[in-house]
Amino acid sequence: MRYLLRRLLHAVFLLLGVSLLTFLFSALAPGNYFDEMRLNPQISPETVAALRAQYQLDRPLPVRYAHWLNALAHGQMGFSFAYNSPVAPLLWARARNTLLLTVTATLLAWLLALPLGVWSAARLGRAPDRVISWTTATLLVIPDLVLALGLLIIAVRTGWFPTGGLTSVGFDDMSPLHKLRDLAWHMTLPVTALVLAALPTLVRHVRASVAEVLEAPFLRAALGHGLPHSKLLYGYALRAAANPLISLFGFSVGTLLSGSLLVEVIMSWPGLGPFLLEAILARDLYVVIGGVLLSMIFLVAGNLFADVLLYWADPRIRTAASAK
Amino acid sequence: MQPLLRVENLVKHYAAGRSAGSRDKHVALDGVSLSIAPQSTLALIGESGSGKSTLALCIACLEHPTSGSIWFEGIDVAALHENQQRKFRPRIQLVFQDPARSLNPRWTALEIASEPLVVRQDTSKQERENKALELLDCVAIPRRLASQRADELSGGQKQRLAIARALALEPKLIILDEALSALDCSVQAQISNLLLELQSSFGLTYLFITHDFAMAAHLADQIAVMDRGRIVESGPAENILRSPSHEVTRALLAATLPITETPGVGLEL
Amino acid sequence: MKQRRKLMIWLVILGALHGIIAAAGFFAPYDPVEQDRERPYLPPMHIHIVDAQGHFHLRPFFYPLRLREGSFDQYEEDTNTTVPLRFFERGAAYRLLGFVPSRLHFFGVAGARVYLLGSDAYGRDELSRILYGGQISLLAGLLGAGVTLFLGALIGMAAGYYGGWQDELLMRIAELFLALPWLYLLFALRAFLPLAVSPLEAFLLVVVVIGMVGWARPARLVRGVVLSVKERDFVRAARGFGASDFYLLRRHILPETASVLLTQAAILVPQFVLAEMTLSFLGLGVPEPMSSWGNLLATLQQYNVLVSYWWMYLPALAIVPFFLGYLSLASALQERAGAYKIEEKGNWNPS
Repeated sequence: MRYLLRRLLHAVFLLLGVSLLTFLFSALAPGNYFDEMRLNPQISPETVAALRAQYQLDRPLPVRYAHWLNALAHGQMGFSFAYNSPVAPLLWARARNTLLLTVTATLLAWLLALPLGVWSAARLGRAPDRVISWTTATLLVIPDLVLALGLLIIAVRTGWFPTGGLTSVGFDDMSPLHKLRDLAWHMTLPVTALVLAALPTLVRHVRASVAEVLEAPFLRAALGHGLPHSKLLYGYALRAAANPLISLFGFSVGTLLSGSLLVEVIMSWPGLGPFLLEAILARDLYVVIGGVLLSMIFLVAGNLFADVLLYWADPRIRTAASAK
Repeated sequence: MQPLLRVENLVKHYAAGRSAGSRDKHVALDGVSLSIAPQSTLALIGESGSGKSTLALCIACLEHPTSGSIWFEGIDVAALHENQQRKFRPRIQLVFQDPARSLNPRWTALEIASEPLVVRQDTSKQERENKALELLDCVAIPRRLASQRADELSGGQKQRLAIARALALEPKLIILDEALSALDCSVQAQISNLLLELQSSFGLTYLFITHDFAMAAHLADQIAVMDRGRIVESGPAENILRSPSHEVTRALLAATLPITETPGVGLEL
Repeated sequence: MKQRRKLMIWLVILGALHGIIAAAGFFAPYDPVEQDRERPYLPPMHIHIVDAQGHFHLRPFFYPLRLREGSFDQYEEDTNTTVPLRFFERGAAYRLLGFVPSRLHFFGVAGARVYLLGSDAYGRDELSRILYGGQISLLAGLLGAGVTLFLGALIGMAAGYYGGWQDELLMRIAELFLALPWLYLLFALRAFLPLAVSPLEAFLLVVVVIGMVGWARPARLVRGVVLSVKERDFVRAARGFGASDFYLLRRHILPETASVLLTQAAILVPQFVLAEMTLSFLGLGVPEPMSSWGNLLATLQQYNVLVSYWWMYLPALAIVPFFLGYLSLASALQERAGAYKIEEKGNWNPS
């Protein structure tokens, strides 16, 4: 239990550090955003004054940081100049779209990687393993930028999939089933791109971990006891190989918000990625800070999640931790 | 005569806990005192874990003792600052047990022998090379091996090289920390004879650390026995060997020498 | 020894690939900024050896493209004139490696312009733009990796050698940087710096930003090496004859880190090239008229280009052989170092 508390403390520390870094970057950025904002006719002077008071811009750096943290704790992430509205609701809406994509892709990728990796490890060196290894090697060599663009071109030339957007025109008038189908149709391309990008590393890791475990004597003993192969592989080998995979899963969870940026931009998926990019090009400071911070929170949370999972799954960690 | 080296009540603690600021400590040296006369050899005998290597490192000014003093040529080197210590270090040289680890395997014999001179920075390249070749001659390493990489030399040659390197800066005291233990028996004999020759040619003083009484018997004028961070017995070599008084000494003697021992009387040499 | 041979093979392949890009002036038939407004978006031209009448030509040739009757963007081959392909032709002036003036090109044609990979909106030859663009992208990747490795080595050595609170602090900061999603960090860094800068400034900015993002992993690895080497007896011995810290780091410890640094280099360079491509593709990197693989791909964001002009995708494929070469090199280096650490195998996946 104390181990978990320590990891939690560690995560909090990490988050504070990350927030400090982000804040410092923004504070040291050249150009005075508030002057720009004042010149912007769309934003009322009252809003400017309120923001000024909230963020205490005239005070020294540590005071500003404290106020910024305080605002953050109340769920306020600043004000978007481009959209003329608070940042937080904008971010949440976009984040939801991103998560729709990434959660689907991550689940799919893991569901595919586990059996593929285990199968590969079980037939190490033989034909199925060689084919899988070769495929993953090829996929690894193709960066996601190239992959996503390539898929997009295929979509465009064949017309099988839409080239962008979350939904088709007239979505709101569709029946629930049709809505689902429409959504799935729009999601196919980006999800494929994400899965293909993530799959090779996952398969390799699963294969490596399981292969290592399959060499262990305890497994040969179990084989000698006459356990059926599938139970052996999934029940025993995979459980034993789980540790590095759990960490990897935590990492997957951590990148749920940030991993799909490029794919979203290329496939015009209205998620956090394109929103962030737009904000950067428009110099919409608080959106950028908010977006970066949000994704970093996810990353830290993902790692913490992995720690918790590991603690729960592996009795060795529990005993080692309590022995300290 | 003034001893060359006098160690007084040397204590060394190591922090043993895993987390920073832990209270646990491991006591490596628990009040060690000894002295060595110039141009003589003191053999320090003890089992592994008795603190011998820690003592060697402290005397060579490569570790800071927790308390105590080390008087070398009349100066307490343990109390000196890092910069001043650095000037003293060349006078006390250390030869390690495993030459495969104490010599950088990628360097050539010539580079290794001349490294101390490079560090001292006051000689030209030609002078260094000449001196290095002379050193190789002293330890009977054929000159044709000078450009061989260290990992291509035999164990005995490597250890000779380590000794040559130790001689480069003309030290007064050489500490040999189990320097012969990793070598074959015949090679051990050769090198211990070499050590004796060098001692008389250069007027060296040796602190010879070992766990092997037979070797000590061959080389030492004085013997000190160490156990768990303390010196339990010391004195002239023949006395210790003939009539050991402490039980640790007796145990060590029994372990290393052949059984031509008469109980209660000690050893016939 | 088989490992050494594998290593050599990949080094040669990579060397050749880099050589082609470095000698872009020689291999490219035209100047990359040379426009031809009469021929925008020309599709790649085909090389023929048998002409329309069925005659066999010893020397390969092209048919020039002309606009199809009644169309303003469809091209067809003009089979009346053959334009033979010549090797080692004299063409536009360029400077090899930036300072050797020459007019010699690997291939060229007389009398017409040959677009082996098509042309872009301004009639500029895509092949030439890809070759020259490679110079920018590869250079950004190599320099960025250089900055990262330099920073990482420095910090790793300081942390490992001096230990104590410096070590703790530096490693905590490294952990922080490792925890950040690199693409977002890249964006954030780039965002907070001025957007509209000259191409050279943009390039340097990209290099610095890329370089500053990735130092944490090499630093940790170098620190590991330093921790193990600093306790080695030959380092102790050197201290024993009065060597200074700087001497020890320079003469004994740094050479031991070489293998780790080389492997990291092989892993980082392609990722940093990709980083530059990503930044430029999104408009945050190298701007026009400088060409990089990234900003060459940026036109694909226009729908009509995506639909009709597929050859504008080709710059994306240019990086694939480099990825293959570098990843295989990294693999060979890791095998040679003996330890197959899953940790390092492509773990810096930019997603």
